[in-house]
Amino acid sequence: MQTIDLLFAGFASAFQIGAFLTVVVGLLVGVIAGALPGISFVNAMAMALPFTYAMNVTHAMLFLGGIYVGGVFGGSISAIMINVPGTPASLPATWDGYAMTKKGQVKRALTIAVTASAVGGLASALMLTFLSAPFAKFAMKFSQPEFFAATVLGLVSVIAIAKDKPIITMISLLSGMAIGTVGVDPLYGQARFSFGIPEVESGIRFVVVMIGLFAIGEVVDLVATDRDLRPKKADGKMAGASFRDIWNVKGAIARGTGLGCMIGVIPGAGATPGAVIAYGVEKQINPRGKEFGTGVEAGLAAPEAAKNATTGAAMVPLLTLGIPGSAATAIMLAAMMLQGVNPGPLLFIMDPSMVYTIFAAMIIANVLMIGAGVGVAQMFSTLMRTPPAILAGFIVILSLIGAYGVRNNIFDVHVCLIFGVIGWAMKRVGFPSAPMVLGVILGPLAERYFLTAVANSRQDYTVFFTRPISATILFLALIFVLWSLWPSVRSRIKRQPA
Amino acid sequence: MSYKALLTYALTGASTAALIASAGMASAQDYPQRPIEMVVTFGPGGGADLMGRQMGRLMEKPLGVSIPISNVAGASGNAGLTRLKTDAPDGYTIGTLISLTVASWASGLGDSSVDDFEVLAVVQNSPSFLFVPASSPYQTAEDLFAYAKENPGELTVATSGYGTQDDVTLKLLAKDGVQMENVPFQSPGERYASPIGGHTAVLYEEPGDVAQFLKAEQLKPLVVFSEERHPAFPDVPTSTELGYEISGLDNFRTVAVRAGTDPAIVEKLQSAVEESVASEEWQKFCAETYSCIEPVTGEDAQKMVQDFLQLITDQLAS
Repeated sequence: MQTIDLLFAGFASAFQIGAFLTVVVGLLVGVIAGALPGISFVNAMAMALPFTYAMNVTHAMLFLGGIYVGGVFGGSISAIMINVPGTPASLPATWDGYAMTKKGQVKRALTIAVTASAVGGLASALMLTFLSAPFAKFAMKFSQPEFFAATVLGLVSVIAIAKDKPIITMISLLSGMAIGTVGVDPLYGQARFSFGIPEVESGIRFVVVMIGLFAIGEVVDLVATDRDLRPKKADGKMAGASFRDIWNVKGAIARGTGLGCMIGVIPGAGATPGAVIAYGVEKQINPRGKEFGTGVEAGLAAPEAAKNATTGAAMVPLLTLGIPGSAATAIMLAAMMLQGVNPGPLLFIMDPSMVYTIFAAMIIANVLMIGAGVGVAQMFSTLMRTPPAILAGFIVILSLIGAYGVRNNIFDVHVCLIFGVIGWAMKRVGFPSAPMVLGVILGPLAERYFLTAVANSRQDYTVFFTRPISATILFLALIFVLWSLWPSVRSRIKRQPA
Repeated sequence: MSYKALLTYALTGASTAALIASAGMASAQDYPQRPIEMVVTFGPGGGADLMGRQMGRLMEKPLGVSIPISNVAGASGNAGLTRLKTDAPDGYTIGTLISLTVASWASGLGDSSVDDFEVLAVVQNSPSFLFVPASSPYQTAEDLFAYAKENPGELTVATSGYGTQDDVTLKLLAKDGVQMENVPFQSPGERYASPIGGHTAVLYEEPGDVAQFLKAEQLKPLVVFSEERHPAFPDVPTSTELGYEISGLDNFRTVAVRAGTDPAIVEKLQSAVEESVASEEWQKFCAETYSCIEPVTGEDAQKMVQDFLQLITDQLAS
């Protein structure tokens, strides 16, 4: 009962004009930044951090929360429209979302994406409000072996989503993991594959690889093949998704939301593994799973719901325990600490009104996101009418700024350009680049969790199988890989002469 | 060549020379003329970031220009130092230099040495503690060390990595018979979550980074690695009291510029740092992070960093 009272008070203060505008501005900044290729919501939040100095701490959190919610969705706008994911979590949106665009269903794709994202985000904001205490307990049960198991599940999902070429996907994934090892290793602080070059010691960041492979690679391809992205006249009149379309993918949205909430609450996981695992699971469960990748609505809805469902969930460990699980929540932590506020269990006792205003704002932001998402998508479709050469130049500049902005280092720009060339070459020969990006993201995580888990158990390698949660997740991963590879194995057996 | 042309050349040359000379003088006297960039050598949200942001914000007032923050993260802070070393030594790039990065040099990371930088001031300093979760079976340092002596290597300690001052401290303890397993956690969030969740027995950390867990009584300090008790934790015994000579491994954070910067500019920056440290806002900030010190400047600061590096290098080699 007390929760409801506090929440109503939270809504009252979130609807005050100053607070409300802060959320709306944050949301718009987030959606636009997310949609711009190269600029991720993490960039946008880092850039916004100095602006929060002048705000009170509640407004600062509302602003950053708005950018976070909007930005996680925004990345899908460019993923769906031009096959360039604005953030890594939007990678799955390029698979079925862009395929829908190619079929001339760009509006339907965007409407489904924004609705699924909003539903996922809203569910997770409600979970944050009402269930943060039990979920925080659940999160604390997870330690390094469980994180490792969850990362393995993510890696397995990457193979599961490969349509019919698991070997090529595996090669791409493994080369991504190899790229991820470049730089200083996470435990011993030793430089690997740095060839004595100080810049390389800093490692190769996944965002930079992604911007190179997708944004630069796509643009080079766009110019080289003289494609025209401009929508045909008929597209303008085409209707968005009807309520019926959304209702048809309710199962996918529900499953995506559930997975996103569970994965988001684990510190260290976050939106990208959430979206990828949701896509992989949906591909197996959905009756149309075999058609995934050709523009199936459910294949777009599930990962979209999952990635936004991680936003509220990721704030559970931040607010209840003071533990940031991702770059985005670390920036929120900085904003609070700079104002002398320490998140953690005491925050709920000392300043419940602030906590519940944040909860209310997260709920409001997810509802408003439908409007903001549709509005910005409209803006982008106008942008799409510009000639490809101009659009290409625009994307390249933004990409390079984005690559530089990851950590203000010119070295990253060079890396980005190199991966741009690689990305284009991969595209030409039909070598999938998404598994490579996911390898760069998940590989170092898996390594770090594995090594720390082993050290923490005093070099006992069985720890992954003796801890119940870890063993369960690994068992699921095994079933998952067998399940997804079975069809291609079976067809091979059938082809053998009896 | 006509007389007139010659005169023109001569005049142009003279005025150019005068202009260059005056510009040279102006740079130190009128410094600063434009915004000064503060390079934070770690990503947003950590201890170095909070320090850099707080310091940058406070230094804006005495210097009269804005001080934007750039997070240049990577390679234990060495990526940011590369930037600090390669920008012009004109005082328009300042940066954070912290003990963790200095310790990484001892393991061969980066290509920096203390002489590459002019340390403006050491502004934060804090000894490290061993913390246990509130529910731990070891409620005193004696209990903990006694168990570790009887069961070598059985207790796990969450630290920031191998080759750091955390690692050196554990090695020194092991020499005295207290053997515990070093478990490095790269992400601070995971480092704190693991002992609080009961997955790791002990946490090695400075108190400022875990202030919220101390206030919520989720973590309990058992021992401080120092010769003197910490004023904020008068009940926590020192390692010296318990018979372990471990000191000089404090976590410090400094603000530095590239070596070779005009002494007049260094002086201006130094007094701005000192003025900021004296401010009420900074005092509140450092009290909350248990890291207040009288700023160490000039030769002393340089020596402090050098001595720390020497100590780490010696211990890792032994």
